[in-house]
Amino acid sequence: MPSTDPNKPRGKNPRAGKKKKPEGPQTLIIPQISPEMLESARRAASEGKTRQEIEQAALDTARQQQEAAQAAQAAQAAEAQPAAPQPAPRPEAEKRRRKTRAEAEAELAQRVHDDHLWLNNPVMMRGLGLAPIVVAASNCDNALMLCAAAILLLTTTRMLAVAVCHLTGNRFRPVIYVYSAAVLYIPAYCILYNLFGADLTLLGIYLPLMVVEPAIIKRMENPDLEPVGEAFRRGINNTVGLCIAILLVGMLREFLGAGSMFGAVLLDTPPLPIASEPAGGFILVGLVAALWTGVANAYVRYKQEEVRHNYAERRR
Amino acid sequence: MLNAAAELSVLEAVLHFFTYAVMAVFAENIVFSHGLGVSHLLKLVETRDIRTLHYCLPILLVQLLSAPLVWAARVWFTPWVRTVLPGWLPAAALRPVIYLTCATIAMAVVWLLFRLFGRHAAPYLEQLPLATYNCCVLGTILICVNQNFTLLETVAFSLGSGLGYLFAVAVVDEGRRRLRSKDVPAIFTGMPISLIYIGILALAIYGLVGHSIV
Repeated sequence: MPSTDPNKPRGKNPRAGKKKKPEGPQTLIIPQISPEMLESARRAASEGKTRQEIEQAALDTARQQQEAAQAAQAAQAAEAQPAAPQPAPRPEAEKRRRKTRAEAEAELAQRVHDDHLWLNNPVMMRGLGLAPIVVAASNCDNALMLCAAAILLLTTTRMLAVAVCHLTGNRFRPVIYVYSAAVLYIPAYCILYNLFGADLTLLGIYLPLMVVEPAIIKRMENPDLEPVGEAFRRGINNTVGLCIAILLVGMLREFLGAGSMFGAVLLDTPPLPIASEPAGGFILVGLVAALWTGVANAYVRYKQEEVRHNYAERRR
Repeated sequence: MLNAAAELSVLEAVLHFFTYAVMAVFAENIVFSHGLGVSHLLKLVETRDIRTLHYCLPILLVQLLSAPLVWAARVWFTPWVRTVLPGWLPAAALRPVIYLTCATIAMAVVWLLFRLFGRHAAPYLEQLPLATYNCCVLGTILICVNQNFTLLETVAFSLGSGLGYLFAVAVVDEGRRRLRSKDVPAIFTGMPISLIYIGILALAIYGLVGHSIV
């Protein structure tokens, strides 16, 4: 027999009347039992609650859900009639679940901006760090040394500079950034010297120049002071992006300029000897950047189309 | 006789000065031969927010004023530092700190000079820190140090480098204006075509000189 509770919304559930329930005083019909309700009932039973308490809690939950659904319907009806004075507020869960197209597009733009590996690479897309890449990264060994220098300097400089800027109230930002890099260059040079020895001199002026390289101190131009954790995350992203670009250009230039790769001779005659010179470096980086930009822009356009398609009905 | 010899030596010094300055402007141009300051140059020609002179004049003044300091640091300070440093710390590790300090002192002097001109110098003052901490400035300093230039040569090369940077910005700016053609494929527009253009100019200078002088 069904429960005789007058508050029970039996009539509103079409399935409630059709189902034949086994007779017994403890039979309870709960409209639209969701897995969450079952789980909460199971949890309550394990906590030692009585059956009546569990039933009452389940009924309360079902009632709340119905009220929320009615409120959502009322809100939709109010939206459909703009003359209505005060539309009912949409539930928080509903707001969270449904994203408008503008929000989705903004999220995509932010994701593209934060992707310093491919879509917003510091070298190929933003033109930072060009001096060492165009001139010094003429072979794989030089590229490796530059990568090691970037790994040691970029993230640490950004974090140290941000920490000091927090102390000084974001004043003297350029001086702080540059001197942070110059101070960190001292241990970095010692480490690099132990790793690469006298080969380090092959980089010439381009190794000490890393302390004023825009890829490393670009942030000094931005007046917004980021948290140290954020500086670490972005620093790592930038480092990886910079290293990918340096290695790619270094390998290409060695292959084209000398017909070898990491010292191993692949071709007897170098296909493009000018690639080893700064002029060839400029042209090669320009060509790679064009290709990179084309692929990255095509991918971004594809994702934008995808967002437009997915959120076609949610313009607002 | 003595006067003629003195005059000859002065003329030789002037000629020497101009030779180094002209070499720094053209044959050893800081942008086309050494690839320094390209990132800022591209930003300068692509955005119209900053005027070329507002950025290049501070560079020129900082380079000119830092040249004697750099020479003094190389001749007197660095040898003394070598005697003080522990064995495990090479003096080369301190080069950025030492030479950036020279540039910072020069920046302070330039800042005071600009302050004399009141609000007319405000755009220059705004660009002064970015101009000082530029690859072009430190790169010129490091070239002078590596080549063991004399005081005269250091000043001449620094002046020539500053003028050479201004020359490079003007040439690339003009090139960018002409490269805004619809015939340029979409993927090349912006930075890639500018880099290729700079590369062709660098190739022309390389073809003219044939090798690196410095």
